[in-house]
Amino acid sequence: MNPYLTRRGALGLGAGAGTAILLSACGDSGPNEKVTGGGPNAAPAATAYTGPNVSLAFWNGFTGGDGAFMKTLIDQFNTEHQNIKVSMNVYQWADYYQKVPAAVSSGNGPDLGIMHVDSVATNAARGVILPLDDLAASLSLTEDDFSPPVWQAGVYNQKRYGIPLDVHPLGLFYNKTVMEKAGLDPEKPPATADEYLTALDKLKSAGVQGSWATPFQFTGSMWFHSLLWQFGGDLFDAGAQKATFAQDPGVQALTWYTDLVRKGYSPRNVAQDADLVALRNGKNALNWNGIWTINTLSEDKNLQWGAAPVPQIGTQKAVWAGSHQFVQFKQRSQDDNKLTAGKVFINWISQKSLEWAKGGQVPARKDVRESAEFKALPAQAALAQQIDYVHYPPSVPGIGDALNTVVTAVNESVLLRKEPAKALSDAAAKADQILEQNRKKYGG
Amino acid sequence: MTILQERTQAADETANPPMRRNASITPYLFLVPYFVLFAGFMLLPAIYGLWISLHDWDYLLPGKPFVGLDNYQALFDPASAVFDFFWQSMQATGIFTVASVPLLLVVPLAVALLINRKFPGRTFFRAVYFAPYVLGVAVIGVLWRFLLDPNLGAVNAVLGTTTPWTTDLPWAWISLVGVTVWWTLGFNAVIYLAGLQDIPRELYEAARIDGGGKWAEFRHVTLPGLRPVLLFVVINTVLNSANMFGQAYLITQGAPGVETRTAIMYIAQTGLRDFKMGSAAAMSYLLTIALLLISLIIFRLFRTKD
Amino acid sequence: MSRVRGIAWYTVLLGLSLIFIAPLVWMLLTSIKTPGEATQVPPTLFPQKITTEAYGTLFEAGSQTPVLRWFLNSLLAATGQAVLVLIVASMAAYPLARMQFRGKNLLFGMILATLFVPIFTLIIPNFLIIDRLGWLDTLWALIVPGAASAFGVFFLRQFFESLPRELEEAAVLEGANSWQVFTKVILPLSKPALATLGLISFLTNWNDFIWPIYVLFSPTSFTLPPGLGILQGAYTINYPVVMAGAAIASIPALLLFVLAQRYIIEGVSRSGLKG
Repeated sequence: MNPYLTRRGALGLGAGAGTAILLSACGDSGPNEKVTGGGPNAAPAATAYTGPNVSLAFWNGFTGGDGAFMKTLIDQFNTEHQNIKVSMNVYQWADYYQKVPAAVSSGNGPDLGIMHVDSVATNAARGVILPLDDLAASLSLTEDDFSPPVWQAGVYNQKRYGIPLDVHPLGLFYNKTVMEKAGLDPEKPPATADEYLTALDKLKSAGVQGSWATPFQFTGSMWFHSLLWQFGGDLFDAGAQKATFAQDPGVQALTWYTDLVRKGYSPRNVAQDADLVALRNGKNALNWNGIWTINTLSEDKNLQWGAAPVPQIGTQKAVWAGSHQFVQFKQRSQDDNKLTAGKVFINWISQKSLEWAKGGQVPARKDVRESAEFKALPAQAALAQQIDYVHYPPSVPGIGDALNTVVTAVNESVLLRKEPAKALSDAAAKADQILEQNRKKYGG
Repeated sequence: MTILQERTQAADETANPPMRRNASITPYLFLVPYFVLFAGFMLLPAIYGLWISLHDWDYLLPGKPFVGLDNYQALFDPASAVFDFFWQSMQATGIFTVASVPLLLVVPLAVALLINRKFPGRTFFRAVYFAPYVLGVAVIGVLWRFLLDPNLGAVNAVLGTTTPWTTDLPWAWISLVGVTVWWTLGFNAVIYLAGLQDIPRELYEAARIDGGGKWAEFRHVTLPGLRPVLLFVVINTVLNSANMFGQAYLITQGAPGVETRTAIMYIAQTGLRDFKMGSAAAMSYLLTIALLLISLIIFRLFRTKD
Repeated sequence: MSRVRGIAWYTVLLGLSLIFIAPLVWMLLTSIKTPGEATQVPPTLFPQKITTEAYGTLFEAGSQTPVLRWFLNSLLAATGQAVLVLIVASMAAYPLARMQFRGKNLLFGMILATLFVPIFTLIIPNFLIIDRLGWLDTLWALIVPGAASAFGVFFLRQFFESLPRELEEAAVLEGANSWQVFTKVILPLSKPALATLGLISFLTNWNDFIWPIYVLFSPTSFTLPPGLGILQGAYTINYPVVMAGAAIASIPALLLFVLAQRYIIEGVSRSGLKG
């Protein structure tokens, strides 16, 4: 038995419906033929599934409290749909991104999954995930149902690969007790640069370092991204050919962030998550953190806290956000029933995403976001106000590698090891190299 | 052993005509299965790896551009994207090796000396000290991650401290080294014990007559007597420490940032998670060369002592 | 005097034993606690309420962490590899110990040299070879590649060399060929060495971690060690479940060790002698 022969045979069958690209002729190109190319997704998308019983494997990285919310939703879906059984497997995100492409390529991939926006393009280029344009079309989903930045995030090479499940922006979390002690209005968190600095000065004279600046990716890099866009800059130029984060807006942004440490509004060498711990202990007042923080803070029954959109420090409103997107994986032998059932599932969950929002997210769908029920979740609703000016990194394969250089730059600057401008320009030089390598590799 | 060999030879040549007749091909036939596996999973990958390291190789992409020595060059170019991370990981491996090897050489020796005498329960104690080694790194890893948890862990509870065992330096290193000593101490101790038992009693008696005391006995009889096993123990311990993966993967996960991410961890992550296989292959050749050099130096050190 | 010293000395030995045993006991005790009690600060030593909830979670039908399946996979992989090592290594060791042929020293030298090449450095090309063979995500990936055990060949060769030649010669005189000598004379005489090597190979494979986490992907094909990593991720705060998984992975290894302690320890100590 030659495994390649059977593998190719299986693919050949599937390819009848579409455009699988077989590179088997290339001698040294490895066994990639099985996943390369945007595979076919021939099944007509549907809102209902009437075929024989199918079971779907759904993998994701919801290891925290969010996993429990997803489990509840899936149980409900399974009871409502007698002929579809979805089973969920949870990995840590790092393991998930390692296993999924390899599993898909070896023919044992799951049917459905979740990907962060900055991974969609990479996996689309690798041929791991399938285009979902027909799903969007048959469900008549459009930009208006979501919001422009969110909807555009799942598109790569003019094809849609991800259906947004949620948006998780940064927000301002504040400790009301500490603010009150420093003579600040606990119901009116600072919203502008001036208000922010005034608040920090008052906190300082009350003996509190009011806004801890973490040097780590969570959430220092995200804070920097937000500031960069607020000062009118961007991470990369159009088409992601060159890094632009080291230009003036970037330097202004990183200088402002580093000054929190320099001017004593933050201690030096803040440890991972120590900023949030300090907020809970009353040693920190204002923390820019991810919306997932809502879960953590809600556990603290005695803590008086609030959440608001991030202040506008620069010249325009902007905030970093991530997004979980539904994806469908390519299979060695295509099963139209499973594809259809999978689409029914995606559509169903995305309409029920209110439950999901309770796990500390903003639903991607506008109708859910505007429902009275969602508005009754005060913290989530407060952060959802930012939805029209959230920013994502460009949808380019391998962009995550280029973004890692920014993580290093923020780290070096906040730890006062390098001047902001120097840290950024060093990082930009590396990012340019990576972008160029990526273009060669992914053929962009 | 030489005698045995001579006898084998003599037997082959005289008393053993059938065996001699087959000798041309039979031995090779017996070796075939081993060498198929050896060629397939040692030789071939060693060469294939070199080929991969000359490409920008993502096995899921059609394009695997040939890049010549770029992957190697990048490892020595401070401006490259991998430079810092790679050397950071090599440094982590270095720190771990330097910190753990001396302990793994000395502590097991002390334990071996402690139980190297006849007494009731000797086998029991030997087994107890060896027991953790029977468990894999996965069990050890998840167990100690829980025990060392800064907030919920039993270690802090017992000591009455709030030490950040897994999340801050130097504690993360202390934890990793400590857990490794706990885990593999029994292995080296058992080998030392076997070595100690091979030292002829007469040597100790002679030393006692010379009247040098315990320390002289240790220096002039025990240590030289252990020389044969010592070479194995040193090389084996150095290689194992330099290949540390599971402990850091499960206990600190590289924390606080990437400080405790070891070379093997970074190579595996680069090649098999980020699918930058060319770069990862280049890194592993560099690591292999470094380890071979170190092995060679250790061999030399032992030889010059002769 | 000597009695006082004797007591002090036993105290040291027992104290040391405690350090080695206590963490394992803690693992077992935690696995029968409730999740709440397991993360209580300060922790309780003995469970206030004994529960098998954690084991229930792991064994429940349709669990996303099918520990029984992992157990079975581990058993298959470890047994499979142990058997393969025994066959391949004993066949290779026999001519190296008992025959004269061209290139013998070179071959043996090559095998010994691989003892010093850390196998991890071949992880990338081996992954690709396994992929080409279509073995990713299957137990073949765990059984075959590691079976060319240099240690096994070395270990058995030493043992075969120590066997007396008389029986072998008698068999040859009766007309036995090399294969018959090997299977009818050498192997039966080598049972203790084969048992030792088999046990050590089994344990090594049972505990293997880095390779399975990268070549196995689907929950049903995991073995226990990568499964534990997944458990730790999936039940971040539910320590009883993680400890129950660790206990399940430890028990066969510890049991084997208790039953065959002498073989294992002697095998290990022999590996260091005359290396």
